[in-house]
Amino acid sequence: MTALRLPDTDAAAAPQRTVAPRIGARAVCEALVREGVTTVFGYPGGTLLPIYDVLREFPLRHILVRHEQGGAHAADGFSRATGGVGVAMATSGPGAINLVTGLATAMMDSVPMVAITANVPRALLGKDAFQETDIIGIALPITKFATVVMNPDEVPLAVAEAFEIARSGRPGPVLLDFPKDVLQEETTAPHPEPYELRLPGLLRPTRGDVPEAEELAELIAKAERPLILAGHGIQIANATGLLRQVAEKAEIPVAHTLLGIGNMDETHRLSAGYAGMHGWMHVNKAIQQSDLLIGIGCRYDDRITGKTSTFAPNATIVHVDVDRSEIGKNVRTDLGIVADAGDLLAALLPRLPQSEPRAEWLAQIAEWRVVSEARSWHGSGAWRQGRLSADYVVDRIGEATNHAATLVSDVGQNQMWAARYFGFRKPFHHLSSGGLGTMGYAVPAAMGAALGAPERETWAVVGDGGFQMTMQELATLVQDQIPVRIAVLNNHRLGMIRQWQEIIYDENYHSAELFGPDLVRLCEAYGIPAWRATKPDEVDGVIAEARKAPGPALIDFHLDEAQNVYPMMLPGKGLSDMVEGASE
Amino acid sequence: MATAPRRQTVPAGDPDAEHRRHVVSALVIDRPGTLNRVSGLLRARSFNIESLTVGTTHEPGRSRMTIVVRGDEGHLRQVLAQLERLIEVLEVGDLHGTPHLEIELALVELDPPADRGAEADLRATLASAGGELLPTTDGTWRARLTAAPETIDRALEALGAQGLRRLVRAGAVAMTTTTTTDPTTSENGASRA
Repeated sequence: MTALRLPDTDAAAAPQRTVAPRIGARAVCEALVREGVTTVFGYPGGTLLPIYDVLREFPLRHILVRHEQGGAHAADGFSRATGGVGVAMATSGPGAINLVTGLATAMMDSVPMVAITANVPRALLGKDAFQETDIIGIALPITKFATVVMNPDEVPLAVAEAFEIARSGRPGPVLLDFPKDVLQEETTAPHPEPYELRLPGLLRPTRGDVPEAEELAELIAKAERPLILAGHGIQIANATGLLRQVAEKAEIPVAHTLLGIGNMDETHRLSAGYAGMHGWMHVNKAIQQSDLLIGIGCRYDDRITGKTSTFAPNATIVHVDVDRSEIGKNVRTDLGIVADAGDLLAALLPRLPQSEPRAEWLAQIAEWRVVSEARSWHGSGAWRQGRLSADYVVDRIGEATNHAATLVSDVGQNQMWAARYFGFRKPFHHLSSGGLGTMGYAVPAAMGAALGAPERETWAVVGDGGFQMTMQELATLVQDQIPVRIAVLNNHRLGMIRQWQEIIYDENYHSAELFGPDLVRLCEAYGIPAWRATKPDEVDGVIAEARKAPGPALIDFHLDEAQNVYPMMLPGKGLSDMVEGASE
Repeated sequence: MATAPRRQTVPAGDPDAEHRRHVVSALVIDRPGTLNRVSGLLRARSFNIESLTVGTTHEPGRSRMTIVVRGDEGHLRQVLAQLERLIEVLEVGDLHGTPHLEIELALVELDPPADRGAEADLRATLASAGGELLPTTDGTWRARLTAAPETIDRALEALGAQGLRRLVRAGAVAMTTTTTTDPTTSENGASRA
């Protein structure tokens, strides 16, 4: 009997069979179609033109963005809203470099995405040719993998491997760089079967049962005040249902990281809420008082922990992550388990005894919650006096859309307001640049999200600062009639900068005031219906109008005053040391 | 490849932890960019590389890197886990606590010894570090040393007073000497494709 011989090294190289010759550019497009790609966000350029020359032959919808950064964020938003792999394309030199903010954003938040860049022809590489740049050198630290494809025969394999790397294990962005002549020359290389991929260095989580769940089940059985800290990894693993079942069976309240929002319906009795620097006070208190903290698919990053030496001082800390390098990176870990979040939860569920209601612990959190919501609900509370405040706007968008819309937030105060007040119910509905904190993310990412998940309404919640960073994509929204509703929380300033300057820098305001255009007239110029609201009683009306628009729409919410997001954990402080801010 | 325990315990980091010398051995894919990616990751984590060697192995397409760095255990442990997840890295481990061979090559250029006695001393120093005089035609004294890095350190200290003019060190290469527990084997709950 002949043993089946699988290629075990990359040196085994491409499959031996051949197909009818076609140029590299066609092979790229074929490979994208084979990977299930339907939409590509791109911007043409001299070296990338071979792909544009054949693009029409393939069932690929090309969205012509107005800046490559917008394309990268749109691919990211497409991925996050769908759980698939978004694709961005850029030409050599400046085009490729414009992708980097989007790549780094995706890398920090474990978003699968494939970026395709063209480069100068092979003979010109390294000669400072027109629009040449070493994009691989630039992309290495901000991608899961980046490589240049130097031979047309490698094209099919390289694209297939890029997708496999992007979505496997802990997902991330991959960049493939194609010298122009590689796209122009013919190849007879076939597309590989899955077993023909040469990825001996790709870490894949061991799937199936997780026997270590036994130890975790024992810890849970002994705990009096357990708390789950649920991160993005649970949504990536498609395991939100299992999370709810585990929480219900063991009677464990669930706190969320920023990107963990949506892991659980916020109205569920065991959903404690959003934790961290601007998280709910009662959730942060629960972390500090818990005797067993179970982090699943999260990074225990500094916006959650604050000063790590005072973080969860009473707790046995458990950390489950698919990426071993995360475990113990930031906080002491009493029990670390390297596993896919879904596998762990599935292994844990049958091992858990049905718990009695943890009446005392849940009542304690509920008691803190009453105080916490009374104090910090609606930030400044200004809306109650007839003045427009951001929390009110976000709350009304949540209500109007029945909390079923995809909400893409930007970065800064708007991000925190969206996280706190929208009222999320489902996974993949809250998109935000959590790790990198990329201002300008919201509008282009919402563009990708709206195309990826057209069955849902898509809202971008963005400050006037972040909006002005990528507002060139308004033209894309119009050209392709992408139905993104944009809520600009316009306080004519960089709100979070102003907040830090007020609280930490002794009210030394510098560069916090921000001039911006008349957004309604700007939209008029683009042909986008737009409204302005300046009073709380106008909010519901303009939201309803904007929802009726068949394509993009914008509301310019003129916020009344300088509002801060409270509570706030100051830099260098811990979760027990939050600033409450002014209550009404 | 063995699948090691995926359960772990990590104590709180100690900022005053001792910065020890670590010899890291990594099996990597031999392709452009691998060295860049590995060294870039060490740079991003503020590790100063004392030496780094890379060369082919008996397997085609595979290279072995030996990297000598200084740092505390916890920090290094985390960096190794980050190195391990690179697509270009197949296996990586710290050789501390594992029997291994560690050899370095150094080339030295020396002033010709003044007399018989000095020459005998010089030859003795070279011999202490596996040294050998290299034939020259220009009357210059050159030698190669082949020994464990610390042995070379000691010899160089002596050579400093024996007319050392120039020095080039290759950096350490290391190989485990046990087949039962191979520290270069991946120690995590993941397997490679």
